[in-house]
Amino acid sequence: MIGLMHYLVVGAILFVLGVLGIFLNRKNVIIILMSVELILLAVNINLVAFSVYLGDLVGQIFAMFVLTVAAGEAAIGLAILVIYFRGRGTIAVDDINRMKG
Amino acid sequence: MVDLSEYLPILLFLGVALVLSSLFVFGPMALNHVTGAYKPNADKLAEYECGFPAFEDARAQFDVRFYLVAILFIIFDLEAAFLYPWAVSLDKIGWTGWFAMMGFLVELVIGFAYAWKKGALEWE
Amino acid sequence: MSYAESLSLTLSEVILAAGALVLLLVAGWAGDKATRLISWIAVVLLAVAGLALLGPAGAAFGGQYQADSFAAFAKVLIYFAAGASILIAPRFFQLADGSHMGLRAEYPILILLACVGMGMMVSAGDLLSLYVGLELNSLAAYVLASFMRSDQRSAEAGLKYFVLGALASGILLYGISLVYGFTGTTAFDGIAKAYGDGVSMGELFGLVFVFAGLAFKVSAVPFHMWTPDVYEGAPTPVTTFFASAPKVAALCMAIRVAVVAMGPAAHQWQQIVIFAALASTILGGVAAINQTNIKRLLAYSSINNVGFALIGLAAGTQQGIAAVLTYLAVYVVMTIGSFVCVLQMRDAEGRPIEAISALAGLSRSRPGLSAAFAIFMFSLAGIPPLFGFWPKFLVFDAAVAVGLLPLAAVGIATSVIGAFYYIKIVKIIYFDEPGEEVFAANNNVVETGLMLLTALAVSPIGYLAIPVLGQLSDRAAGSLF
Repeated sequence: MIGLMHYLVVGAILFVLGVLGIFLNRKNVIIILMSVELILLAVNINLVAFSVYLGDLVGQIFAMFVLTVAAGEAAIGLAILVIYFRGRGTIAVDDINRMKG
Repeated sequence: MVDLSEYLPILLFLGVALVLSSLFVFGPMALNHVTGAYKPNADKLAEYECGFPAFEDARAQFDVRFYLVAILFIIFDLEAAFLYPWAVSLDKIGWTGWFAMMGFLVELVIGFAYAWKKGALEWE
Repeated sequence: MSYAESLSLTLSEVILAAGALVLLLVAGWAGDKATRLISWIAVVLLAVAGLALLGPAGAAFGGQYQADSFAAFAKVLIYFAAGASILIAPRFFQLADGSHMGLRAEYPILILLACVGMGMMVSAGDLLSLYVGLELNSLAAYVLASFMRSDQRSAEAGLKYFVLGALASGILLYGISLVYGFTGTTAFDGIAKAYGDGVSMGELFGLVFVFAGLAFKVSAVPFHMWTPDVYEGAPTPVTTFFASAPKVAALCMAIRVAVVAMGPAAHQWQQIVIFAALASTILGGVAAINQTNIKRLLAYSSINNVGFALIGLAAGTQQGIAAVLTYLAVYVVMTIGSFVCVLQMRDAEGRPIEAISALAGLSRSRPGLSAAFAIFMFSLAGIPPLFGFWPKFLVFDAAVAVGLLPLAAVGIATSVIGAFYYIKIVKIIYFDEPGEEVFAANNNVVETGLMLLTALAVSPIGYLAIPVLGQLSDRAAGSLF
């Protein structure tokens, strides 16, 4: 039987993978964008699982809002990335170092 | 233990879908093979409509204009997701719900008009 | 409560949102020629929205939105900061951008949209409206940070802000999902009830994640690493905005979550807040010492200030919250004033200069500007005759009143460390030999006016405002308890 705990564990694993993806990734900013999406989807799994478990619709409504906000975030992230690429000609993570201190 | 027989309709549906879709895909191909003439030339083999050579390094850079289209698509596509729950619950939420959604749609249209006017929908 | 009644309670947000949409259409059709017009209309809209705050208090949309005097107090500060950052922008962009294109018409609109989001943040009575408001503000802010498209540092600032801001939202959201799952609701009063029956392990984890996300948003240590880069890279008017309005919004949101939703778990979050407050004041004071870029220095100064404000929150009493609100009011005025001073650092062609060393001997060529700089630096340092001393005194007083004596003692010690680098700037301005760099003269009425106004407000004259400010902040804090 698949219960609430299983969903929470999957959510936690995805969340940790997303956070690690942001910090360990040394290659490409697009991968960071994907990691951010992964974090948000982990949250959505949590929300929907809790929503079904509690028999309360708020969690699913919340998940809808998270999805749309994630879309907006991805769009703005891509837009900023395009500007950045036009200026620098690279989107490698190691090259984002104009400012230090 | 979950009663797997509950999922029988889904299994049947998947089976039927698989059979029908392979029929639609492979049927015409087989028909072509039997009836059509096979005389390839460069123009016929060129990819059409999507504008991308199909066999290249996966790490190749995309044209930045694809991103712009993708950005607009993501936004308008997902905002439309709110319309489904709204539509099925309209009899319960009444005029309040109707006006709330109209407000939302007006905002969306204003955003669309702005993107259009700024030329974000033009390819060139 | 009907839909129309709910809308009337949210009047200031409705005004700003509708106004921003209409202005967006104007910007689309009229283009960048209309920037000046749109900017002024935006400022008028902010003023009208501020007047709309005088309307009745109450809970709208089933408790999702709380219109109370706490939210109104925060919104006045936010609208003031937003208006100032709109007014100082056109000239900066006209001169700083190499292409001399001037300011794009979308700038004031983005600020208005961010204000709608910040209004939602400080008025949120539910985790859902909190999250949507927060994102509305953040998404506008990411674009603002990379607004100067020709400048590579601006694009990099936007990228960094975006990545770390999105991560912060993710952490906050994960906490929200846990809180929702273990308390069964997202409404603040329901959460408070659930936390009142004892804090379970799951609820505790939710609380920790939520506070980590909030700490990111207020840029408290240990989640401060984005602040210096973003403040340095973003165009100066945008940095002015970041350092003032979203700080107020995020801190007020954190206060409402801490006091209203998680009040019964005060013992748990107090530890987190005390740690963040201590770490922020110490790091903000120490790391600023070696900075050579004035915007970076002010970024560390803002981290330092957030630490002091958190000391008031750590007290957790009505007195403590009132002290934080007073602190924020004075902080916003000081910050805007000091950034307007930074704006004056332009070379002959009007390009911005950010090196602190360029200030050497400024007192001989620009005595007025030097005096303003000195007033803001002394005030930020909290040196008594200036008004910056008063809110620091209030937060320490509130902390001592609940027995947080060690916290107050460390706070006072770090404010002495912090005073070192503020006074160092004053020393450079007044006692160093002037270099070859000469700043372009300022002939802009708006900038001069803002500088005068804010300098007067933080000068000893500001003490006249204490009775009014004290009463307002006390009433605002009282509406939470």
